Amino acid sequence: MIELKQITKQYLGQAMPAVENLSLSIPEGEICVLVGPSGCGKSTILRMINRMIEPTSGTVTIKGEDVSSTDSDQLRMGIGYVIQQIGLLPHRTIAENIAIVPRLYKWPKERIAKRVDELIVMMGLDLEKTRGKYPSQLSGGQMQRVGVARAMAVDPPIMLMDEPFGAVDPIARNHLQDELLRLQKEIKKTIVFVTHDINEAIKMGDNIAIFDAGKLVQFGTPEEILTNPKNSFVENFIGHDRVVKKLNLYRADDAMQPVGCLVKESDLQSAGQRMKDAGTEVAFLLNEVGQRLGHLTFAEFEAGKGDLEGLRKKVLRTEKAFVQISTSLPDALSLLLEFDSDYLGILKGDELCGMLSFKDIRKHVYRKDGE
Amino acid sequence: MSWENFRFALFEKAPEALFEHSMIVVITITIAILISVPLGVLLTRPKYKGLGLVTLNVLNVLQAIPGLAIIALALPILGLGMKPAVVALLFQSLLPIVRNTIAGLIGVSPDVKEAACGMGMSQRRILLEVEIPLAMPIILSGIRTATVYVVSIGTLAALIGAGGLGNLIMGGLALFRPEYLLVGAGLGAIMAITLERSLSYLERRITPPGMRVS
Ligand SMILES: Nc1ncnc2c1ncn2[C@@H]1O[C@H](COP(=O)(O)OP(=O)(O)O)[C@@H](O)[C@H]1O
Ligand SMILES: [Mg+2]
Repeated sequence: MIELKQITKQYLGQAMPAVENLSLSIPEGEICVLVGPSGCGKSTILRMINRMIEPTSGTVTIKGEDVSSTDSDQLRMGIGYVIQQIGLLPHRTIAENIAIVPRLYKWPKERIAKRVDELIVMMGLDLEKTRGKYPSQLSGGQMQRVGVARAMAVDPPIMLMDEPFGAVDPIARNHLQDELLRLQKEIKKTIVFVTHDINEAIKMGDNIAIFDAGKLVQFGTPEEILTNPKNSFVENFIGHDRVVKKLNLYRADDAMQPVGCLVKESDLQSAGQRMKDAGTEVAFLLNEVGQRLGHLTFAEFEAGKGDLEGLRKKVLRTEKAFVQISTSLPDALSLLLEFDSDYLGILKGDELCGMLSFKDIRKHVYRKDGE
Repeated sequence: MSWENFRFALFEKAPEALFEHSMIVVITITIAILISVPLGVLLTRPKYKGLGLVTLNVLNVLQAIPGLAIIALALPILGLGMKPAVVALLFQSLLPIVRNTIAGLIGVSPDVKEAACGMGMSQRRILLEVEIPLAMPIILSGIRTATVYVVSIGTLAALIGAGGLGNLIMGGLALFRPEYLLVGAGLGAIMAITLERSLSYLERRITPPGMRVS
């Protein structure tokens, strides 16, 4: 949808170009994150899309149309723009701030008022309390919500966001990120999101473009980039906890395996044989009415074969070792350690649909592409 | 001191003098605003930014010339009357307004301007709806300085036949009538203080509610 073709930007009086021969195609309806160290040209790229800056050479096209042939004010009215410093007009109320672009489009008053209210609610702000306030009366997080609402006022198909959550505290930032992701599921905008924080990039991006000193180093999904960093720059930029970061991309159901063996409590003494028959190393135990009691590994069974009561106790120690399929792998890993258990039962609602071990997690993270 | 003289100065002479003085002030300040604010705006546009400093320096020099000298210089060039007085006073009332217009406009947060531009507001719209409203309190404070200045230096304009409260003061000096002096100077002071107070009230009133320091 947005296409950058051989873009170079050389600022006057700078030795090196801020952006050098960049070609990048930004897919429609997804979040594309531009990430890289400070000063690598991210903002410059973003601002060439809405013509706040003109490239020295190369073309930017949106839906096939060269932006340099459009009226720049018209172009910008149709593209949401959010910056770290927010830039709310301090002499206008929140409602008036959100209404700026609709007013540029000359919407009728009632339509503007309705849309403003809708956006304030959508951004999770208190309608009555917020509408008439001035920006200086809001917290940083609230102001940035207004900034996002303002950019979405006329429902533009494209949003450019330049370190939008960089100035808010980490807790508020996390919230804002989550909400943007939730919102994006519904609104499916083409979002170009600039950040210098690789964690934010991995969390927010459908695709990530990594830059170093004005040059595109690698473009790909977070998974591709974490799995195959192209060079040592990318590797260093990601950090030593690359694998842990990658874990964050997955949920329990991505790595789990099917449950091999279910055993009734009354059949506990035959559990070993049943595991052998099923070719699995773990059995989940159910009581007479079908409630889950926990699990038992083949090794545990072999060690305590004679003592049924002891085995039962062992099973009950893992009574809590069940998680929902939506649990992230780092959380699952943490729970495995916390329960000191070899397996976690994976639940879908109240139904046991799989199991997960350390080995499953390891295999999943190191699996080859296409496996 | 005689009551008779005082009464005569206050009721027979002062109304006309006050009217002439107000005219000088109103005309001078109006023209000064019409020149200075656009000049200040122009000098803060990226294209003309380089000229800003030069202009400010020129105006600084003009401001530094004593008011009496300017008025004296105006006489041989422009002759007698209210017109040369206004021109002479104008020179000196430009600086505070231009300077404050520039300061006010430069002081507008670049983030606010960038956001406004990024939303597709035209440069004209940004100037009228964002920059000027935000700079207004500072511009007004420049106008206030210039006004007080014109009211007081305006009394010297009588020297070149412009009339005004200066007439009463000069008359008082020439005829040894302290009552005239008192009425002229007193009314001048009252006028200056009244204008100063009302403009600073206005300044507070037009400060956008979101920006008032409460
Ligand atoms: N208006 C400008 N004039 C000159 N140089 C600039 C300008 N804007 C940015 N630069 C330079 O271009 C480079 C890239 O800047 P920028 O795009 O802001 O980087 P980033 O957003 O990645 O931090 C930097 O070296 C910066 O100093
Ligand atoms: Mg930047």
